[in-house]
Amino acid sequence: MSHTELVVWAGLTIGLVFGATAQLSGFCLLRSLHHTQHSGDTRKLRAFALAMGVALLGSQALGASGMVSLEASIYTVPSLAWLALPLGGLLFGYGMALANGCGARALVLLGSGNLRSFVVLVCLGLAAYMVLSGVLAPLRLWLESFSLTLPAATLPQLLGLPGWLPALIIGGCLAAWAFSGREFRASPRDWIAGLVIGALVPASWYTTGVLGFDDFEPVRLASLTFVAPIGESLQYLMLSTGTRLGFAVSVVGGVLLGAVLMALLRRDFNLRSFDSPTHMLRSMVGGTLMGIGGVMSLGCSIGQGLSGFSTLSLASLIAVASIMLGARLGIHGPLALSKP
Amino acid sequence: MHSSSSSRFILLGRRLLRGLGVAITGLGLATLALPGLASEPWQRLEAAQSLLGDSEPHTQGLTLDLPHVSEDGSAVALTVSFDGELDEGDYIERVDLFANANPSPEIATFHLSPLSAKPEISTRVRLNETQEVIAIATSHQGERFATAREVRITVSGCLVRAGGEAPDALSNPRVSIASGLAAGEPAEVRTLINHPMETGLREDDDGDTLPRHIIERFSVSIEGDTVFEAELHQSISANPYLRFFLTPEQSGEAEFIWQDDSGETARHVAEIDLS
Repeated sequence: MSHTELVVWAGLTIGLVFGATAQLSGFCLLRSLHHTQHSGDTRKLRAFALAMGVALLGSQALGASGMVSLEASIYTVPSLAWLALPLGGLLFGYGMALANGCGARALVLLGSGNLRSFVVLVCLGLAAYMVLSGVLAPLRLWLESFSLTLPAATLPQLLGLPGWLPALIIGGCLAAWAFSGREFRASPRDWIAGLVIGALVPASWYTTGVLGFDDFEPVRLASLTFVAPIGESLQYLMLSTGTRLGFAVSVVGGVLLGAVLMALLRRDFNLRSFDSPTHMLRSMVGGTLMGIGGVMSLGCSIGQGLSGFSTLSLASLIAVASIMLGARLGIHGPLALSKP
Repeated sequence: MHSSSSSRFILLGRRLLRGLGVAITGLGLATLALPGLASEPWQRLEAAQSLLGDSEPHTQGLTLDLPHVSEDGSAVALTVSFDGELDEGDYIERVDLFANANPSPEIATFHLSPLSAKPEISTRVRLNETQEVIAIATSHQGERFATAREVRITVSGCLVRAGGEAPDALSNPRVSIASGLAAGEPAEVRTLINHPMETGLREDDDGDTLPRHIIERFSVSIEGDTVFEAELHQSISANPYLRFFLTPEQSGEAEFIWQDDSGETARHVAEIDLS
């Protein structure tokens, strides 16, 4: 098997595990914020924090072992698009609140029979490619031209520390906070989801960085992310005879398939649709905002929240904060949305 | 009054229609007569036309494999291969690649020999806009084959990586030869070398044009006989990658030489061991 085929199969497996785990556990950043806000239930938020901690520890361990050079990822560049990146994060976060979940969540819900998510996904993928290479690309390039060079690309570089030290402290704190909740400890579905999904991030770095390594035709280093890949998957469906299957598309396919299988296994597959035209409009606008914002901020709640965060890149930390802020504005704030 | 004006309109309409008919017929004739409006891409590109001369290439047999859409025009993976019919003993001797909308359309010319006669070559090329890539193959007996493929180039989704020293030109030549060699069996060879392949069209941060600096020639010889040669132009991507096939008849020393336009060369020697 060639190294590119190996990467595709590994990507499919990682997607399957993600899809099945997320379908079973309801792993979702937005849902965790909703629960925390409305009922004080922090289990989902703790699961996300645990996933962040595990992703960080695992990825930095891979980096420290020398197997993967995280500096080669798209997250760890010293130049910061100070306008496009935070603006994109805000748009993504707000869009996520509008559409009731991020791109990965929409894939999982579609796998469970939720047809609303199909509308979200199509709008998200279309908008992502409009901004990436289509009619809105010139606007994005103009927004990205407002950039500055940071003194360092990552937090450890800024502090002059080896990557594992801040990873150990931050990752340890996140995990410790997660497990400090008694309800969380008593809910294996949530902590197992946090552990498994977090571990998929270093597994993805390993797949593209080690399995995909080839002196002559290297695979681009990447990890889990769901905005550009959903657009790429739509494009792949239309142009597969003229394009090559890569890691990103195989992960997207795997997530959908994993969610379908788990939903069928649990007898949790139910067709659902919109209640009203306003509800549909909300999903469309939400998906579109997530597509636009996710490309501008170089990643979604998973792409920046787990993968980007695991590199401790300064830009990722800013993106994660702006995604959280955008989501918060949608849930609770001057721009808060009523339940559809 | 009313009826006369309406008949005038009908007349005008007929005249317009007739004029249109003449124009369409004229255009059709012009298409036949003028090579400038000819239909095949290689007939519209002067560099390809001067290579072909009067010969009419076969349009079957030669295949170009490129992505339909590429987000990164600085390195588009390209494979050209031939599976057409040739007379007994004939072989593809030369393959030319062109990009019709690049500032300089020539991409590369490959010279093959009976010892590299499986005509399948891969490389990575620069395409500065959406355009057609053209391949023309010539056999030893002068048979010609042509093909073209459209590639759409969009803006890159990736941020340009700032900083970092570029590696030295002509450093770190790498060669990988497929294992399990047998006499007369095609064996895949992949080569890569560090080189900026500076086009001479780019400007640095101060607005000064960076001088052209490219690898112009790559050759492979076995025991002193040249078996594969490539003339490279500025449309080949930085750190040139070449994949091709050798069909060695006996064991021996294979020598790989890259030569750039400053006269510098890099050399790599590999042992070919037929067992």
